[in-house]
Amino acid sequence: MQVYSTDARTDTARYSSGVPERDSQLADLVDLGVRRGAAYADARRVEREYEAVSVRDGEVESVTRSGDRGIGFRVIHRGAWGFAATDRGDETSLRDVVDEAFARAEAAASTRTAPVALAPIAPERGEYRTTLARDPFAVPVTERIALLRAADANLKGPHAVSRRGSVAAYRTRKHLVTSEGTDVRQEIVESGAGVAVTAVKAGAKPTQRYDSRLTRQTGWEFIEHLDLAARATRYRDDAEALLDAPLATERPTTLVFTPEFLALLVHESCGHPTEADRVLEHEIAFAGTTFMWPKDRGALRYGSEHVSMTADATVPGGMGTFGWDDDGVPAMRTRLIDRGTFVGYLTSRETAAALGMPVAIGSARAEGWQHFPIVRMVNVSLDPGIGSYEALLRGVADGLLLEAPASYSLDDKRQNFHFSTQSARVIRNGALEGYVRGVSFQSLTPAFWGRCDGVADDWELHGFLSCAKGEPLQLMRVGHGAAHARFREVPIEVRG
Amino acid sequence: MTVRGRDAMLAPLQDALREARADEAELWVHRRRSAITRYAKNEVHQNAVSDDTHVQARVVLGNAVGIAGANSLDPADLRRLIADATAAARDSAPNAEWPGLAEPAPAPEARAYDPDTARADAASQTDAIKRITAAVKARGFRAAGTHQIELTEDALANSKGVSQYAPSTMAYLRALVTSDTGTGWAEDLGWSTRSLDPTAIAAQAIEKAAVDRDRTQLAPGDYEAVFEELAVAEVLRFMSLTGLTGQTLRDGRSFMAGRFGEQVTGPRFSLWDDALDGRTLAIPFDVEGTPKRRVALVESGVAKGVVHDRQSAKWFDTRSTGHAADPRRYSVGGHAGNLTMAGGDAKREQLIHAVKRGVLITRFHYTNTPDPKRATMTGTTRDGTFLIEDGRISRALANVRYTMSALDLFSGIELMGPQRLARDWWSSNGMGAIVCLCPAIKVARATITGSSPL
Repeated sequence: MQVYSTDARTDTARYSSGVPERDSQLADLVDLGVRRGAAYADARRVEREYEAVSVRDGEVESVTRSGDRGIGFRVIHRGAWGFAATDRGDETSLRDVVDEAFARAEAAASTRTAPVALAPIAPERGEYRTTLARDPFAVPVTERIALLRAADANLKGPHAVSRRGSVAAYRTRKHLVTSEGTDVRQEIVESGAGVAVTAVKAGAKPTQRYDSRLTRQTGWEFIEHLDLAARATRYRDDAEALLDAPLATERPTTLVFTPEFLALLVHESCGHPTEADRVLEHEIAFAGTTFMWPKDRGALRYGSEHVSMTADATVPGGMGTFGWDDDGVPAMRTRLIDRGTFVGYLTSRETAAALGMPVAIGSARAEGWQHFPIVRMVNVSLDPGIGSYEALLRGVADGLLLEAPASYSLDDKRQNFHFSTQSARVIRNGALEGYVRGVSFQSLTPAFWGRCDGVADDWELHGFLSCAKGEPLQLMRVGHGAAHARFREVPIEVRG
Repeated sequence: MTVRGRDAMLAPLQDALREARADEAELWVHRRRSAITRYAKNEVHQNAVSDDTHVQARVVLGNAVGIAGANSLDPADLRRLIADATAAARDSAPNAEWPGLAEPAPAPEARAYDPDTARADAASQTDAIKRITAAVKARGFRAAGTHQIELTEDALANSKGVSQYAPSTMAYLRALVTSDTGTGWAEDLGWSTRSLDPTAIAAQAIEKAAVDRDRTQLAPGDYEAVFEELAVAEVLRFMSLTGLTGQTLRDGRSFMAGRFGEQVTGPRFSLWDDALDGRTLAIPFDVEGTPKRRVALVESGVAKGVVHDRQSAKWFDTRSTGHAADPRRYSVGGHAGNLTMAGGDAKREQLIHAVKRGVLITRFHYTNTPDPKRATMTGTTRDGTFLIEDGRISRALANVRYTMSALDLFSGIELMGPQRLARDWWSSNGMGAIVCLCPAIKVARATITGSSPL
């Protein structure tokens, strides 16, 4: 168990009448589940708070505060899962939740040939809190607006038709009690920001420059560290320059990707296909399956020797960092790709047991109290290399730097993908030159990562707020670290 | 599932608004009871129900707007919510283009609601799945999918006297059938469980899976094509997001920008947004309480209009069409979420028969738009991609990547089938909120830009 210090405020939830806090409430629910014959039961209370300020074209567009709170109750009964959740805390509603969970388990059981099994864990007890210096909820709104207006001023360009900036704060409190003796509480605080500009010029394609991945599990200090004003200037210059940029030339070429771009590539082409529920076909009808099967572990050539990837729920500040997952499994680190070879999966207790793995690696996560935990990414990262970014660039006689993704599309096995870029810079003889536009590329995943011939040492962490998966939809925070990396002979497509 | 009803949903809002101290105030509540049964390898692996009541307050001081959200209708929580929204309004700055809250106007009665569907239980959902899996197992295949039933209740009241309430239901049954060599897909969607036919779904998905064997790869190029309804819905989604709202028009990003009255696509293509069509999934007012109106978007290929919420109506000096969307999902500026595309009467066999050499596409996976201004979509196909030669399906194809402007695709419509309720991949699990009444189509040209491995 890991306990983190925090300066986060710990007052009670803003909207408390619906589900009054009572320490024994979750334990009582779990006890009731066991008395009614459940082989396993857990109850999870989740409270979420959110505050956002957005500025559009220099004016405050909105100030938003929201929160929700409820309880999810899960049982394994007659060998099948049943789950029910409510936002009400009265005795009748909670009894109904138990009845509903058992009814759904019984209905599911009538279809099963083998009972659900869980990989074993020892009971966990403890508390996890985000480390932060300044609570983002405590920052005066006027200060947040001033920061966004300063950034907005820098977004103004001759052709900017739409400018936006926002900052947001998130707090999640979770309490999980299981019939196996686990009782853990967590308080997670996240801070995020973004700026965006759209430029339009007669006779040219509109250009957009934006960032939606500036999030971190920490306090307001992260927002200050971002230097939104400087970023806004860069985005404005990019958007204006791209309006007049020449079309790129279709050809196989050397591509260097920023850590920001690679964070998404890692997410889509390694994080998702290593989710164990895809292997078991739990997600086949919607999210799809994988091309990385159990027989391939230790054998499948996923990428070049420069490519190693790791899942790590202990990375400080990661959006996929926690004390325990929603199975109560403590945060841990595991290798997914080892020097180009596929070696590991993201697992929950159920999927680990189903795949014959002795230990779940702690990837069962639910978006909120309303949701059944499913296998999700934590912080899945491309491991850093040993050379500098500058050295990586020096190895490029003729190529492109792709700075941030725009459109992306993947097949249901995460094997065939297409990405376009917001901004592409020409690299000539190791130096960055002007912009080109219209660049996209499609590839098969192992072919793409197999072209990687260098990863720099400038590893940095990125955070995503809304990885989408599951039915019904569950949006999940995940983290991805990466450094600049170079890929040879990648065929690019160009669209005017 | 228990319906709370008009009084239980509206009375707490109206009571809370009476105490609000603001120039304008609004409360919108969206209750969603979602029961979802997921199955894979012929067994249910996830069976969940949740009941959530989201409440949003908008408070206006001067022209400054504050928004707050919670999930409780308790009087004390609603008071706290309005206080939070009021504080947010004080922190906010005046919006010079604030359009004001909606004025009272009657909305039609909700049509997309079935009390029997609202009462469906876990056993009935599993029974429908068992009918599918029994048929699939008999063929030696395996099935996966989802049976989802939702009850929603929306209520909205504001300080100008608007008072709206509507329940709705949704029933969704999907089946992916997998053989040793391929997959096949079928689904039914409607506001009543009576719209769901597990036997027919199983038969359609089995038929496709059985044919999906000995796949070959299709070389990139332009091909004649048959797009089934789900594939058409996927393309329509990008037209909606990139070009059919006041926001995209204002930004100059819409393919409609500067082109109203011009031919933007082929003459066989007509599209409108119509939440009042009794076949679709909708309630008759939007999240601002404005009654929804039918909006002509494209008529015979000519750009006609876009949808507006109150803010975008103010920008364009017009009136809201009732297309304000849930702000948790879509930004201000309107959302076209009930698309209806003109159809025809061609049967599926006729569409296929009209193809000399081309591709049949059942549905897409994880699509996106590399060129929003042209409503260009790229995505890979799945669960039923076939080569058509001389008017018949000749063999199965590995999934292909399709990349093309919707305007170009619809310029080539040659035949259309009858309309059917369909959701794109993104909306099928709630990532998006678009539902389409659209036909299967035969087009002269679809651009294939790549193939997945065999």
